[in-house]
Amino acid sequence: MEVVRADGRTPNQLRPLACSRNLLHRAHGSARWSQGDTIVLAAVYGPKAGTRKGENPEKACIEVIWKPKTGQIGKEEKEYEMILKRTLQSICLLTIHPNTTTSIILQVVGDDGALLPCAINASCAALVDSGIPLKHLAVAICCGLTETGSVILDPTKAEEQKMRAFAYLVFPNSPLSVLPKAPSAVDDEPGIITSVTHGLMSECHYINCLGHGHAACAKISEFLRRSMQTQLPGDLSKST
Amino acid sequence: MKVEQPSDPPLNSCVDQLVVPGDTVLDLSTMSNQTIKLGEGLRQDSDKISVMKAGKLRLSKPNKYWVESSHKRYVPCVEDTILGIVVDSKPDNFLVDIKGPTLAFLPVLAFEGGTRRNIPKFEVGTLLYVRVVKANNSMNPELSCTDASGKAAEFGPLKDGYMFETSTGLARMLLSSPTCPVLEALGKKLSFEIAIGLNGRVWVNASSPATTVILSNAIMKSEFLSGTQQRIMVEKLMQKLQ
Repeated sequence: MEVVRADGRTPNQLRPLACSRNLLHRAHGSARWSQGDTIVLAAVYGPKAGTRKGENPEKACIEVIWKPKTGQIGKEEKEYEMILKRTLQSICLLTIHPNTTTSIILQVVGDDGALLPCAINASCAALVDSGIPLKHLAVAICCGLTETGSVILDPTKAEEQKMRAFAYLVFPNSPLSVLPKAPSAVDDEPGIITSVTHGLMSECHYINCLGHGHAACAKISEFLRRSMQTQLPGDLSKST
Repeated sequence: MKVEQPSDPPLNSCVDQLVVPGDTVLDLSTMSNQTIKLGEGLRQDSDKISVMKAGKLRLSKPNKYWVESSHKRYVPCVEDTILGIVVDSKPDNFLVDIKGPTLAFLPVLAFEGGTRRNIPKFEVGTLLYVRVVKANNSMNPELSCTDASGKAAEFGPLKDGYMFETSTGLARMLLSSPTCPVLEALGKKLSFEIAIGLNGRVWVNASSPATTVILSNAIMKSEFLSGTQQRIMVEKLMQKLQ
């Protein structure tokens, strides 16, 4: 049964994505990611010497600051900071620069649904821009479960409020590889980095969301790779 | 007689293409008995080489691979010449900021003819042209104001002039040989002194402030221009001067 969405999208269609990097002059890395009207600006400073108190000095420390569009910082912002910190800690190579701190500051510019996935995508792009060593990229998507039990991707704020449940899912990006694919390899178990759910959903609905989300993340991953292509420095130096 | 090319990159290779973190670029199980040297941006993950930073994968025959990228921060490498700023002085070392993850140490005796009696006095904020001697992930990097044979060789404090910050990619382009087009074109019309640090700091010294401003603006704008575009830009600037 086809779900009719308010802005005319199909259930599996994402809003237009836009990513621009290196926009802030003072930050060591910055990125602005927008999905429709949800826009997040991420700035990365670091690595800087010294870790915070209580953190392991044998690894790099990541600190996240979330700045909402309006209002004071409250519990919701602290929760976003914690989720982002854990997600980014799992994609960064923390042992390369021990005893350093990397700060990531996120500013919400517009909020029209799927805010946390947009923020995760923005902070991943900003980390790449600043040159922090990463294991792989993180690509995030929001999957919603409507009243009728069908999955829609990338909901707007109005759609989010009417849904029965939704899940924010973060997958590793699909890498290029020179390794030959083993003939019997089937992509049955996609690796997942983070999953945050709101509302009640049954197990089979969740597995369904995972499947749709993973397919959409392949598209976002491709978009992220193409957006980096346009910002390579000019090819003036000849390789000697 | 068939001559075998020893180390051609594998056929489906990503050399000279954009790679992003997570891509696997080499499979060590297919290349046996070869020494491969990995530069910045690559790491070894048991049997495969994967990418840590986004950029263009480069190969220098026969066996050096690295990822070329440009950032605002610097990762210290041995034998790099950089510009550092003194932030503190200790009895044994000067603490120098080199735009890296940690501060670097410059031993007080690492100067030509340096003894305990003639230790230089650097104020906080002095700009130094130095060479990286030791660079490890776990320790603070060590610097020196002499070259490998112990001579001063232009290292040391830079007096007067103006320092500005750029990305590491622009610094590498300015230091490439043959001479970068923008520096060549500027050098034909203006006279100036320049010191370029691979950590993204450039120091220029010219006779008048106006010349210094033109030089720094021209260099900063030349980052994403091709050779011909750089020459045209410098010509236009010179016409405005006259």
